[in-house]
Amino acid sequence: MKHIVKIMSLLVVMLAVWVGLLQASIVPHSYTWLLPIYSIVSLGCYGLLMVGVGLMQFPTCPQESVLLQKDIAEAKEFLKKQGVDVSSD
Amino acid sequence: MELADRAVGFLLSFISLSIFTYYTFWVIILPFVHGDHFVHKYFLPQEYAILIPVFAGVTLLSFLCIFIGYVMLKSKKKKA
Repeated sequence: MKHIVKIMSLLVVMLAVWVGLLQASIVPHSYTWLLPIYSIVSLGCYGLLMVGVGLMQFPTCPQESVLLQKDIAEAKEFLKKQGVDVSSD
Repeated sequence: MELADRAVGFLLSFISLSIFTYYTFWVIILPFVHGDHFVHKYFLPQEYAILIPVFAGVTLLSFLCIFIGYVMLKSKKKKA
């Protein structure tokens, strides 16, 4: 319940800021009308950028991968000796 | 393959950066430019700056609803 309250209050604050900007006329009027859509589009762009950057910097560990394959082969042999069926069908 | 991952990541970030710069230019900088500057040729009329994101958002929402409905129907049919 508390999480929803936090999100709702954040939304209400942003709405109040937007309406306040509309009334006070600090920025030209046409900009204020486009502000919510612009912030949503830029938020989506920012998310996509973070995903792309994370993908580019994802660390792969080739040595660990080789060791893991060795471990898997070893475990399969051991289990086959004990009589368990570990074929991947 | 980490090269494929890196290529996909680079493509995603490139797409997002280009969309961001294009949209920023469209919404913020273009109203300050003269009406008969040549740059206006490369940008659609300003109403589309609102229509295209709203249309994309509505499409995304409807696709999500359709997907959820389809999954719910399939699970109900499997149980019955």
